[in-house]
Amino acid sequence: MMLDLLVIGAGLAGLTAALRAAEAGLRVKVISKGMGALYWTPGTIDVLGYIGAEERAVQRPWERLDELPARHPYRIVGAGRAQAALEWFRACAAELGLEYNGREDGSNVFTPSPVGAWRPSYLLPAGQRAGDAEDDRPMIIVGFQGMRDFYPHLIASNLKAQGQAVRFAMLPWSVLSERRDRNTVQLAEALEDPKTQQRLIDALRLVVKPGERIGLPAILGREAHSQVLTALAQELNTAVFEIATLPPGVPGIRLATALRRGLEQCGVRVEIGMEAIDFHAEDGTIEFVETATSARPLKHRAKWFLLATGGVLGGGFDSNHEGRFWETVFDLPLTTPPDRQQWFRPLFLDPQGHPALRGGVAVNEAFQPIDAAGNVVFNNLWAAGGLLAHADPIAERSLEGVAIASAVAAVEAIKAQAFARVDHRAFPSETP
Amino acid sequence: MKRYSTDVLVIGGGSTGTGVAWDAALRGLRVILIEKRDLTHGTTGRYHGLLHSGGRYAVKDPQSAIECIEENRILRRTHTHCIEDTGGFFVVTPEDEGDYPDRFKAACARVGIPCEEIPLKEAFRREPLLNPRISRVFEVPDASADSFLATHATAQAARQAGAQILVYHEVVDLLTEGGDGDRRVVGARVRDVVRGEEVCIDAAITVNAGGAWAGKIAAMAGIPVNVIPGKGVMVAVNHRLVNTVINRCKMPSDGDILVPVHTVAIIGTTDERVADPEMLTIEPWEVELMLQEGDKLVPGLSRSRILRAWAGVRPLYQEGYTGESRNATRALALLDHRQRDGVFGFLTITGGKWTTFRLMAEKTVDKVCEQLGTNRPCLTATTPVPGAEQGYYWLGHRLHEVEEARLQGDLICECELVTRTMIEQAAANNPTVTLDDLRRDVRLGMGPCQGGFCTFRAVGVLHELRLRTQEEAQTTGDANGEPPWNVAYMQSPRQAFQAKPAALGLNHSPLDNPNLLLRDFLQERWRGLRPVLWGRQLKQERLDELIYLTIMNVDHLPNDGAASPLTAFWQFDTAPNAKEADQ
Repeated sequence: MMLDLLVIGAGLAGLTAALRAAEAGLRVKVISKGMGALYWTPGTIDVLGYIGAEERAVQRPWERLDELPARHPYRIVGAGRAQAALEWFRACAAELGLEYNGREDGSNVFTPSPVGAWRPSYLLPAGQRAGDAEDDRPMIIVGFQGMRDFYPHLIASNLKAQGQAVRFAMLPWSVLSERRDRNTVQLAEALEDPKTQQRLIDALRLVVKPGERIGLPAILGREAHSQVLTALAQELNTAVFEIATLPPGVPGIRLATALRRGLEQCGVRVEIGMEAIDFHAEDGTIEFVETATSARPLKHRAKWFLLATGGVLGGGFDSNHEGRFWETVFDLPLTTPPDRQQWFRPLFLDPQGHPALRGGVAVNEAFQPIDAAGNVVFNNLWAAGGLLAHADPIAERSLEGVAIASAVAAVEAIKAQAFARVDHRAFPSETP
Repeated sequence: MKRYSTDVLVIGGGSTGTGVAWDAALRGLRVILIEKRDLTHGTTGRYHGLLHSGGRYAVKDPQSAIECIEENRILRRTHTHCIEDTGGFFVVTPEDEGDYPDRFKAACARVGIPCEEIPLKEAFRREPLLNPRISRVFEVPDASADSFLATHATAQAARQAGAQILVYHEVVDLLTEGGDGDRRVVGARVRDVVRGEEVCIDAAITVNAGGAWAGKIAAMAGIPVNVIPGKGVMVAVNHRLVNTVINRCKMPSDGDILVPVHTVAIIGTTDERVADPEMLTIEPWEVELMLQEGDKLVPGLSRSRILRAWAGVRPLYQEGYTGESRNATRALALLDHRQRDGVFGFLTITGGKWTTFRLMAEKTVDKVCEQLGTNRPCLTATTPVPGAEQGYYWLGHRLHEVEEARLQGDLICECELVTRTMIEQAAANNPTVTLDDLRRDVRLGMGPCQGGFCTFRAVGVLHELRLRTQEEAQTTGDANGEPPWNVAYMQSPRQAFQAKPAALGLNHSPLDNPNLLLRDFLQERWRGLRPVLWGRQLKQERLDELIYLTIMNVDHLPNDGAASPLTAFWQFDTAPNAKEADQ
């Protein structure tokens, strides 16, 4: 039977969009070249951390959206709808066994980064909640000798410089593994073994003082994360929290895995290893997208298509030395500056970000890609996530928020067309 | 103020300066060398890594060609481990018409460069990616060289012969005595950049080996030396497209050479006259030109992943020359300021090229001896530097050791196979002020991710080393005066692993601030990335942003406006129009 919706991309935007559409009863499939950019992330849901060159972090993201560029995805969605989308996501994640929490009043929560800076997030997975800067308890950051992706002394020294009561401890590597060449994902899997868990608990008992909350690298179990977390907290009788490491990011992998599981439960297939290489459109309507496989090209037909291939990192865009910058599936018009000399600023950490990375696919109020004149490019194409123009989710620390809010908004627009048979050109503007 | 006294003061820690220090020390002179940053901070550390056979100059400049082939033979003996014996091809592409190839062959024979025309079949067997339309191939004894390692090894040889090498010591002023007719340079006032102190060095002879900065240094004694700063842009491709040095068989011009160096291939170079040797910008057309010319040697090179672009400044010199830097002579220039300007006790050595650094040093020290009224023979041509016994460098060196000793879990920089202990040993046993110094020592951050993963890890490792040292209140060699300078050797993952645990000496205070190390190295890497950000390298850069912004939030770490020796980059890049930001 013909698909209603083909989602291209298995990052946070693609997976949440598919979930939202499946919930509404649409027949959905997800195709993706890779596992999605969630695999690199710390698993937090960041809505908005910084605006422009302002040093100070954003405290209440929903109250600050008006300060973003006029065509920023959040401005198109609107604060109310964006907040509701995040609330929906929270409920979904909880159903899938991942508890996400933020503050009652909608303000950002600050937790330690792997270098000991305070990271602004909106929702935190249960495993990171106890790292909250507003918690009064002192911290002990615990690392493992020779672990190349986690340096507890560095975290402690920077947190201390910012007024946090904190110390660090180093445990022998042998607590975790007999092999030196394990990465964080493998260590997380190893910690699901009760024996390894017990070794860790015993070792922690020797270094933790009463009243201290314990910060550990984000390796506390992969699939059985909540059991590992609970076991540690109960045995040690204190709060335990994870701190992100270099990619791959175990908390991000947990989220991606849970979302894919949720989709499977709704009967949605997520096909990884499917790179969209071509498409066919008639009269402005996409008929199918073609993917490369080892045997032969496959055609994926659907009524509607949602492009969620991400930005530069996710693979949504590519570029070459001649200064061409293009969208990889449909070659959609982009807002990226045409002159390569204008792509980047001289300073890597420029608080404004870099112009090339703020460019992307411009969309209308219904999240349908439009050209420079404002015309919809394809009748049955929507876009969400990192590829949207006028946002730099990495510089803004809005990666997950933009992904979820735009995915939900795009699917709502698709649903409106599916159920009310509203002509897309007549789709009402919902900008508040 | 601290005061040193010496026979010879050498200004400049590039290949020439360290060569002069080595030569003079071997001849029994007392030597102090000062370098304003780390060794090879200047042009030596920014060139494409070619050990010339002389073929490049055989037609145009036979004297340079003869010097090159002679030095080529000598350096293979004295600096063996700094050289990979790649061999070199001169190839005739369809664009290189005319009689140049035959003139080339004849010229090589005239100046004594072994040059053999080899069958095309043989050439393509050895280098399958070469342009199939190449019509003739000549083989010459070119090689690729590691100028970081060679300079460290030379410096170590100089130290062993008694020279004192002071890095992060910048000339503030030359000390002069006397008036018109009998003025002399009697040393220099020097600033210890790390401690912020000034030092006075009295010297019988001062040798200006400041390279592209030589004019500025000579000006301190009121002497005009018009160095022609010729900027050369180089572009690194992310893997070795070739295993042989590939030269275009034509008159020297832009983008005519491809050098395999360690794990990458480098295409070079341009020649543009510039004003400031310190803060070089790389223009898009320069990168584009390199890629276009590279395609003529290896078709498709322009579509390869490009790692980085950078520029070095040739310190060319030609008395009274005002033309284009491309046509200025590559010959060495030894200026005896007694003859030239009536100023005693001061020599400037400039021009030349890396391959002839030893010869430049020899001629300079000959002149030094003459002025000091002593006659001592040069020994450098027959004295191997420490490490030469390791034999020629080979590409599999590190991987072999990492695999044999199973050190995969200790790799801090996976691209360049740098282990934790290599970083610890290099930091503890060598003057290390910034991560860029470590980069030159162990190749940290020089691979495809350009520091994406290893910058954070190296900062963590150094912070840990610092704490461990404080805890154990232990010091290494520095306290007794002589740190073991083991970056003079090919960096061995296995040896570093087996060495006794490293501990920092007392004079490593800059390593105290991990946040600055992090910020400044990220910016240093960005400078070379920015001109080549497209395609996969741009994707990689975005991952680096995800790491340092999203995950780490490094732009919101407490820094308190502190400065490091790399901060100049930061300031310059913050205000690109403020050229004086470096002051």
